[in-house]
Amino acid sequence: MSARNPGMQLDLEWVSKVRVNHQAVLKRAQQIQARKLAKKQWQAAWLLKAVTCIDLTTLAGDDTPSNVHRLCLKATQPIRHDLLKSMDMHDKDITTAAVCVYPARVADAVKSLKAANSSLPVASVATGFPAGQTHLQSRLEEVRLAVADGASEIDIVINRMLALTGQWEALYQEIRQFREACGEAHMKTILAVGELGTFTNVYKASLVAMMAGSDFIKTSTGKESVNATYPVAVVMVRAIRDYFMRTRHKVGFKPAGGIRTAKDSLVWLTLMKEELGDEWLRPDLFRLGASTLLADIERQVYHYVNGRYPAYHELPLA
Amino acid sequence: MAGSTSKTVYDIFQSMEYGPTSSSTAAAQSWLELHSRSLGLFVDGKFVSPSERQTRVVVDASGQRLGSTVCAEDEDVTKAATSAVSGFKAWSGLSCYQRAKVFQSFGSVLQRHSQCLAELGDLVQTPAPASALIRLAQYYTGWAQLRDTLIPDWTPQGVVAVAVSDDCSLYSLLLKVLPALAVGSAVIVTPGHGTALPVLLVATIFMEAGLPAGTLNVITGKDLSLGIKVAQNPSINFATYAGNKMDGERLTRETAGCGVPVSCSMSASAICPFIVFESADIDSAVDGIIETAFKKKKDCQWVLCVQESVWESCMDRLKVRMAAMKCLPLSAESDRPIVDAAVQEAQQQGAIVIQPCQPPSSLSLYPPTVLSGVAPSCPSVVAPPPGPLLPALSFRTAAEGLTIGNHSPHGLAASIWTEDLILALESVKSLSVGTVWVNSHSVMDPSMCLSGVKDSGNCTDGGREGLFQFLRPRLSSPLPRSPPVSVDYARFGSTASRPVVPGETHAADSAQSPRSYMQFVAGKQCKAESGSSVSILAPDGAVIAYCPDGGRKDVRNAVEAAIKCQPGWRKRSPVARAQSLYSLAESLELRRRDMAMSLLAQTGIQLEEAEMEVELSISRICDWAALCDKEGGGMQSLPQSGSAMSFAEPLGVVGVVLPDGQPLLSLVSLLGAALAAGNAVVMVPSEKHPLPALEFIQVLQSSTLPDGLVSIVTGSRDQLTHALANHNVVQAIWYWGSQEGCQYLQYTCCSPLKNLWLHCLEEREAGKGGRDWAVSHPSLLEEMWRKATQWKSVWIPTA
Repeated sequence: MSARNPGMQLDLEWVSKVRVNHQAVLKRAQQIQARKLAKKQWQAAWLLKAVTCIDLTTLAGDDTPSNVHRLCLKATQPIRHDLLKSMDMHDKDITTAAVCVYPARVADAVKSLKAANSSLPVASVATGFPAGQTHLQSRLEEVRLAVADGASEIDIVINRMLALTGQWEALYQEIRQFREACGEAHMKTILAVGELGTFTNVYKASLVAMMAGSDFIKTSTGKESVNATYPVAVVMVRAIRDYFMRTRHKVGFKPAGGIRTAKDSLVWLTLMKEELGDEWLRPDLFRLGASTLLADIERQVYHYVNGRYPAYHELPLA
Repeated sequence: MAGSTSKTVYDIFQSMEYGPTSSSTAAAQSWLELHSRSLGLFVDGKFVSPSERQTRVVVDASGQRLGSTVCAEDEDVTKAATSAVSGFKAWSGLSCYQRAKVFQSFGSVLQRHSQCLAELGDLVQTPAPASALIRLAQYYTGWAQLRDTLIPDWTPQGVVAVAVSDDCSLYSLLLKVLPALAVGSAVIVTPGHGTALPVLLVATIFMEAGLPAGTLNVITGKDLSLGIKVAQNPSINFATYAGNKMDGERLTRETAGCGVPVSCSMSASAICPFIVFESADIDSAVDGIIETAFKKKKDCQWVLCVQESVWESCMDRLKVRMAAMKCLPLSAESDRPIVDAAVQEAQQQGAIVIQPCQPPSSLSLYPPTVLSGVAPSCPSVVAPPPGPLLPALSFRTAAEGLTIGNHSPHGLAASIWTEDLILALESVKSLSVGTVWVNSHSVMDPSMCLSGVKDSGNCTDGGREGLFQFLRPRLSSPLPRSPPVSVDYARFGSTASRPVVPGETHAADSAQSPRSYMQFVAGKQCKAESGSSVSILAPDGAVIAYCPDGGRKDVRNAVEAAIKCQPGWRKRSPVARAQSLYSLAESLELRRRDMAMSLLAQTGIQLEEAEMEVELSISRICDWAALCDKEGGGMQSLPQSGSAMSFAEPLGVVGVVLPDGQPLLSLVSLLGAALAAGNAVVMVPSEKHPLPALEFIQVLQSSTLPDGLVSIVTGSRDQLTHALANHNVVQAIWYWGSQEGCQYLQYTCCSPLKNLWLHCLEEREAGKGGRDWAVSHPSLLEEMWRKATQWKSVWIPTA
């Protein structure tokens, strides 16, 4: 992990000056999507890079130790060994960036990973995920418990009520407290962009979250009707760039929700490269929150290696 | 990309570079192969390859030979012209529906071959995006269908010559060809180097769609001289040009006196302001400028103007965005010293250079470069060098930003960035450009007209307005074709008229000595600066009055007065302009007797006839007064989401050299049109019949028109025409006069560019053509109104 973002005093003047032109952002997003992608080894290399940025996630009511265990093993070996070997990538530490589970499953994940001799971080969602509509006290306690169970990354959700009503000061204070509760664990702040109304609000919320010391800002919980879209990502990464230009602190970006295809993951990498540069193409500054994405990437890699598409049963289950 | 194939997955995994992307060119290559890679001329519906012609090789970006085109000679021009004349007969003889059907089918054949066309465009580096071309076809299908319904009483010009410079884009070229065809004209295209192959392909697609043979001929040549030859051909009725300024001037000069009207869109060399206000979404503005300023083939040259309060943040973002950019190819290695010198000069004048990397040793490449903080007078702003250079300068207030944006001889387009609606709309109004893109740039659609202001053009392309350059009212007669006469351009208008000297007067009736009239400049009656007078003769040769012998200085005074009050007149509400014109009509009504007498004395017509002309004149002024607030422009529908508006604006100062016939009625018809549209007018009365105009000065004085808005300067027509032609503020000249005069004006008024409306009086005396000013058909009024206005379009995209 790179140096953490210490945050800064809330600068409301900066927040108030934010202007985002909706259509221009849509156009920029279209441009990025329209960019032609390279094939062959470029595609394979980029796909493997995407794998290393995945927060392999399961956030379901029916999660049990057994499927969390399977997920952890998949995370440590996301691509079939023989496929990696034929690309000479088997000894290059290709794992996902982290596994991401509900707080109650953190202990299971930590145990499974330890058993597999892996140092992969466990991330936990917290603070009344996904709605954030619980008391601040219980949300803070949730963070502390997850950290105590061994989570080294916490994905918090912001209080949308505060953002929608423009109470940036209160939002800033809440996130500050979460950050304190996280301690050494890295904090990813979920803005739930689908529920923020306008791009201008997304930009402002991004700034406030970064000022309050978020290590990452994340698009959505995956539970809203609108998830990670490219235009909203353009707005958030612009805020990251803006924050970096003023403070020299680098904040990471994590799109989550609805990212399912290998092609999607390539576009996300392109977007990061175009807007923030190569530094933001590493797992310390870029994560993809996804569950089914990995399967499709593995299929594409199989095709690159073998020139054929595999049947689903040929690749290991997550 | 040598060695790129040896890159391992791990190498790329670490560097995360973009790999090579290739696109297929199979369809375009096989089309070229079909023609054995040597393309002929497209005449009379088929390719012809005349023997023993020079050829011109076309290469792709890597220098590989794609094929060759033929260099047409005089004989080929004649053949194409003959074919076009018969093509015009066949094409204009069809019904609107039949022509629309051909267009419709053109659209679908184009769709079928769009891949081939796009690939060919990539190969010759003249973008031919399928979507834009199909949209053009669809848009003009509609106009082909609706010509007679929506524009009745107008008829196609005939055979149209479309000439372009080598750097003209395919879109600009087709924006001339398609409307001409849609209204029923036949077209001869002389494409530039880059557009030759794509246009030949478009022509074959049109044939496949069922266009009658000869309606669209494409002949290729070495340079613009072929386009000039075509325009000079006597079968051509109208010539139009798109491209850079230099070639446009050349075409205009070399066709002067041929009697063929020429319209120019100097789109290829325009300098356009890209204005970022503090209320802008700076990131989006920077995205926009990055996207458009550093293209290898630029549509126009941008100058970035940024408000001081956001200057730092804008430059910082530019630096970050540019950091990852690669060097761009220059169009020729010989450009490199010019680019280097320009950058050095800008640096010496205090500019800071922003580049992602040092200029490489390879002469054919140059990094994208921002010259930050240049002075507006710096050569890289005024005459931009080639290459990926972007001058950037700062301004303090919004008003200053607009002043800087306007302070240029160019007026093609501007891009403005602000989230403030009121500021956006006010900027739209005050920018003297043809197109304003708000929070966007370079958006083209055929429904949005493109017109150049100042040196950027004298015609409108696209939209309903763009059809009119290819049409004329059915009731009007075209300019007669004639070979150019020999005019000494340096001496035209320099012969002083002979002033009246004491002792030579022999009045017809000694009891009533001829009256001495004054001219009318800056709202005052005054003598000529020369102090001399000339005599006004009755039809029987008797001296009936004297008028001042005005010259260059009088025109100068008149123009000075006009530019002072024109902005105010233009800003007045149309309703207020209408009221002033009504007051002019009233004031004429009060003097109807004097006016009738002056007509009678000057032209020798019957009193009854004279009274009739005055009566018609009063009603004509009322026509114009009524029309003032009836033409407000409108909203266009584009496929993209947003609001597109277009509206007419005045030209500025219009010089009118009046015709001899119906001296009062012609005067008020032309004056009314110019004033109603918001212009100021400097009028030169007919040399033969000036008396009614001099009498009209009384009418002007007692009206409520602002002082200086209308001036009347009498004297030698040639001398005053010369003075108008050589005053750069005068934006348009409407001329009724000699063939020499027409030729002189066309030759002289291409730099700076003026809008010309030329009429040759000799022909009228021979009994041909000439206008009966008493006819007040709507199409004739509309023609005058269109000559008095220019179009502005605005694009405000929304999500």
